[in-house]
Amino acid sequence: MKPLHLATLAATASACGSAFATQYLTVEQAQRVMFPEATRFAYSYLQLSPEQMRGVEKLSGLPARSVNWRVFAAYRGDTLLGHMVLDDVIGKFELISYAVGVNPDASIRQVEILVYRESHGFEIKSPAWRRQFVGKTAQSGLAVGDGIANISGATLSCTHVTDGVRRIAAVAQVMLKK
Amino acid sequence: MMRRAQPWLGTLVEIAIADMVDVADVAVLGACFDSAFAAVAEVHRLMSFHDPASDVSRINRAPAGETLAVHAHTHEVLRAALSVSEASGGIFDIACAPRLVSSGDLPLPDAAHVEHVPLRSGLSLDAVGRVVKRQPLWIDLGGIAKGYAVDLAIEALKRHGVRRACVNAGGDLRVIGALSYPARIRAPRSPGQMALELEVCDAALATSANYFSGRDSSAGSVLIDGRNGQPCAGDFSVSVRAPSCMLADALTKVVAASGDAGHAALAQFDATAFII
Repeated sequence: MKPLHLATLAATASACGSAFATQYLTVEQAQRVMFPEATRFAYSYLQLSPEQMRGVEKLSGLPARSVNWRVFAAYRGDTLLGHMVLDDVIGKFELISYAVGVNPDASIRQVEILVYRESHGFEIKSPAWRRQFVGKTAQSGLAVGDGIANISGATLSCTHVTDGVRRIAAVAQVMLKK
Repeated sequence: MMRRAQPWLGTLVEIAIADMVDVADVAVLGACFDSAFAAVAEVHRLMSFHDPASDVSRINRAPAGETLAVHAHTHEVLRAALSVSEASGGIFDIACAPRLVSSGDLPLPDAAHVEHVPLRSGLSLDAVGRVVKRQPLWIDLGGIAKGYAVDLAIEALKRHGVRRACVNAGGDLRVIGALSYPARIRAPRSPGQMALELEVCDAALATSANYFSGRDSSAGSVLIDGRNGQPCAGDFSVSVRAPSCMLADALTKVVAASGDAGHAALAQFDATAFII
């Protein structure tokens, strides 16, 4: 896994139409969802020292992966409310951009998915190809339709995200705890 | 339509609210999402196999012969699990957890070692809502709790006055509202492609398959046939429509193990199914 900035990828995907991507929240929307009482957000690009990297690995039990972290500090007036850390993960099938809200004591406040994208694209097959399944749907009393969609399928593991959240909790312990 | 997604229950849980909401009502909308995600989080906390503090872990640690008080939500899921187990002749079996621990799909719990014994009902519920553990067993609610979490999230949205919405926990989804809500089913032999698109209206639809668990057709499966403890390997997918997502979720395992999209248990729960 390597960090990517997925928001731009997702924008491209929705433009071409065939790949499946969903933007749930923009960075600004996620800030408001996680810290609705905040009056301002200060962006910083955290850089972990080699010693801090070792601290993150020890706390999380995972490779620290990245030296650099994109972080917003949330303030109400001069009072620090917490931080929002941005990260991206790549699985076998998916690319996920997410944000982790962290309290000043470094505990996790909230996790929100920003963008989900199928890594190979989620293709909509031709009507002719789809017709082979129509009989099955008729038998089961289900109607075939068109439009915006939810995907029903085998459970997609979110191990990458949960590992990522664990890593960010360690980064918060090492660098953000007040 | 507003959508949000959070990681819970080992997968991504997506909530989509389609009601027209005034821009001024952003706080109201936020409260709807928060309440629905809180319901999912509660199921995660109560029914996680991984969390030592969950009801599931407490049951797994308890010695045979013990009677345990559990949360009303856990009780409801156990009651449904026992009911689907009975209707399916033991295909659906929450006591298959030792098989999933052996295959590495679940972590070894901090509890005395247990073997899965097919068709042995080692757990029952007493008249006052407690769990009676009659035999040594490890349970895992991974085949039913996601569906229940979806149902609870839907109830939370309804309580907030939401009339059109969809909650989707990694493929187990439920829709409320008069507006038809298309659901796309992945092609199991090519999961990056869509096999078909269905209209789901005031109903639940759950799909189970092996393609995301890192399995190919010859390898194992996290779908276990409770009658013999064998994994339901194969490159198929099973989808079940049912009145509740909990039932749809559980019944996919019955159809997967029996290979029968017309299994008698489906009609008993007012459900229908298809296999791709």
